[in-house]
Amino acid sequence: MTGGWRALLRLFAVQGTWNYERMLGVGMGYAAEPLLEDLKTVDPVRHSEAVVRSTDFFNCNPYLAGLALGATVRAEYEAVPGDQIARLRRALCSPLGALGDELFWAGLLPALVGAALVAAVLGAGWWAIVGLLLAYNALRLGTAVWALRTGYDAGMRVGAAIGRSWIPGAIERIGPVAGFVMGLTVPVTAGWYLEGFGWAGAVGALAVAAVGAAVTRWFGPALTTVRFALLAIGLLLFFRWVGL
Amino acid sequence: MSELPLHAAALLVLWGALVGLDLVSVPQAMLSRPLVAGTVAGWLAGDVEAGLRVGVLLELFALDVLPIGAVRYPDYGPATVAAAALAAGAPWELGLGLSVTLGLLLAVLGGWTLQLVRRSNARAIQHHSAALAAGESRAIRWLQYGALLRDGSRAAGLTLLGLALAWGVTRYVHLDRRTAVGLTLVVIGAGISAAAGGAARSAGRGARLKWLLAGVAAGILLVVLR
Repeated sequence: MTGGWRALLRLFAVQGTWNYERMLGVGMGYAAEPLLEDLKTVDPVRHSEAVVRSTDFFNCNPYLAGLALGATVRAEYEAVPGDQIARLRRALCSPLGALGDELFWAGLLPALVGAALVAAVLGAGWWAIVGLLLAYNALRLGTAVWALRTGYDAGMRVGAAIGRSWIPGAIERIGPVAGFVMGLTVPVTAGWYLEGFGWAGAVGALAVAAVGAAVTRWFGPALTTVRFALLAIGLLLFFRWVGL
Repeated sequence: MSELPLHAAALLVLWGALVGLDLVSVPQAMLSRPLVAGTVAGWLAGDVEAGLRVGVLLELFALDVLPIGAVRYPDYGPATVAAAALAAGAPWELGLGLSVTLGLLLAVLGGWTLQLVRRSNARAIQHHSAALAAGESRAIRWLQYGALLRDGSRAAGLTLLGLALAWGVTRYVHLDRRTAVGLTLVVIGAGISAAAGGAARSAGRGARLKWLLAGVAAGILLVVLR
């Protein structure tokens, strides 16, 4: 795979031109460019068509974009008809989005960040931050290398390769870990902040937390947690201003 | 906010630009997480403890965000950098409330500026649509570099604005002790609510909920034993 390392590096910026029309499309084209270079000498017309296709609409979890990139580039070299490649790209959007979001955003991220928070408040300091960055980025880099290689090896059969891969099993395992770590994080960080305020302060803060949890659940997306926080801050400042 | 030397302010703006870029554009290496952004900003501002306190609390808010699809969310990176700079040098019980308030406002503003950058990216792509349709690789590269420059400038500008506001707050906003402590308790409570709400939503009603509750029980036990 000529240009593999350059494509891998460019995948780190796959969301660079993120927009509401093509989403990751142009970023995918940017990452595909080194991989498609050989096609320029073999078949310049096909190369131009491949470059155009590579920048079309595309969206998925950025960490798994390498699977689609590798598969479509392989298909271009195998001279698969263009409309089939475009269909493959479109078909990969939803599964790669769902699998990647579940694995990274809803699994690994809360698990590792939660663990780092607990370690930090228990006194690990910088080690917590270094550990978070090393662990997360090692997993992310490993996934990116695997995704690009697997996509390129599988070509049009990338769907089957994803189904057989480690990803569905990892999602099943990381979910409970993330749940446990997040559960651990909330009381430990709360205790760290509130230990110096005495019972009255702690009860006051926990009352704000309980009201926040209830009203943000009740109002749904109309009242996000940030809006609730700003509302509570505004109320406090108002009450202090009127002398309460 | 303690007096910031010019080189420290410049480093904070640079760090803010880097963490702003990290959120979406490049490299998504978790530098933009408030825990990381805040602690490093605290170190740059000369008060690691203040940066850590601000970073951990804003992280509780950030954990409520699931960046799925085209969802819109606050940008906590540059906001945390400015908030940590404001908190530096003050007792955390008094400074945390005001700093996190500034951080939350900047994070909302940051989320809005992200939409502007995304619309600007779309306009640039439309402007180069003929070159893209012709398969010109150079146009793709320019679009990519232009978009990165826009996002980096956005994040640097947001951090600079945040540092200017932090300076203004230090100079002109003087809260009495009771209000300052009250504000700190309110933001702590709101942060706990954000993290708990986010964790409960992610857990749903399946096996993960049981693990979440087991984690809460273990956490409470840990707090009591400490």
